[in-house]
Amino acid sequence: MAEGGEHENIPAELEEDPPEEKETKDTPTAAGGKKRIFQKELRCMMYGFGDDQNPYAESVDLLEDLVIEFITETTHKAMEVGRPGRVQVEDIVFLIRKDPRKYARVKDLLTMNEELKKARKAFDESTYVNVA
Amino acid sequence: MAEVFAGTSGQQTAREDSERIFEGGQNKDEVATTKKRPSSSEETAGATTSSTEKTTEGEPPEAKRLVLERVGSVEEGETRKTKMEQLEEERQKMQVLVASFSEEQLNRYEMFRRSAFPKASIKRIMQQMTGTSVSQNVVIAMAGISKVFVGEVVEEALDVMEKSGDSGPLQPKHIREAVRRLRLKDQVPSTKFKKTLFH
Repeated sequence: MAEGGEHENIPAELEEDPPEEKETKDTPTAAGGKKRIFQKELRCMMYGFGDDQNPYAESVDLLEDLVIEFITETTHKAMEVGRPGRVQVEDIVFLIRKDPRKYARVKDLLTMNEELKKARKAFDESTYVNVA
Repeated sequence: MAEVFAGTSGQQTAREDSERIFEGGQNKDEVATTKKRPSSSEETAGATTSSTEKTTEGEPPEAKRLVLERVGSVEEGETRKTKMEQLEEERQKMQVLVASFSEEQLNRYEMFRRSAFPKASIKRIMQQMTGTSVSQNVVIAMAGISKVFVGEVVEEALDVMEKSGDSGPLQPKHIREAVRRLRLKDQVPSTKFKKTLFH
């Protein structure tokens, strides 16, 4: 990865989560439940992928159900694969090996995460040395 | 694929873990390369097989632990240079493209880049399901592929909408049709209906 340009290219999944609000912090009921977890992010995402700037509420709800089902199914399958009862990165990679986009995305994310961790560690160490 | 499930020794660094994971996948399916534009022919000459050199399908040469790559190539030395060049070229092309966006396109692009699922929520969902804790890498991976999943559904739904001549915001019927099509392509995981092998 080109090192100089990373400050503009950090994927959103590797950023810190924005501070959470307290209202929606209860357990997500089964898909279709009243608590909507991903409303805000999903609306932004849908717009980013080509939908209208104001997507229909029913569409957002439907997509949220789909995403939760996706996460649930993938987690279940991952629990059966590899070490049963646990979900590890290798299991996820195994499950999406046939899907080129998802595979490439996971690869990029994890690679960049490693590089960021290394960079941060090097930065911290250099700070420490300077102070000492 | 065996390497992925070989016993994870705690001594391996996290970086080696990623390499090991993705290398195991890449040797068998040339997966990540399919989505990239196969622009220059010399780089993709070897792309159909794995990133190892001069081997037929089968064992990768043991000593050659190649760094994570996006495109297969012939020589290890050349690999790194052409990979860097390719990445740089790609970045430049993106810059030119983004520079020519209209304001609405810029907005949309920004939303595309910056939207992401909150890791805390995903972690909570997964931990409630498994009953155990999940590592941070798993949450990151899950957030990433969920976003890709949303993208696939929305794009397919937009296709459906276009074909049926509607316009405006996406409607649930488009989304449902899109999901139906993606299921046929096996891009939506489902454990509800097992395929019967033999009738």
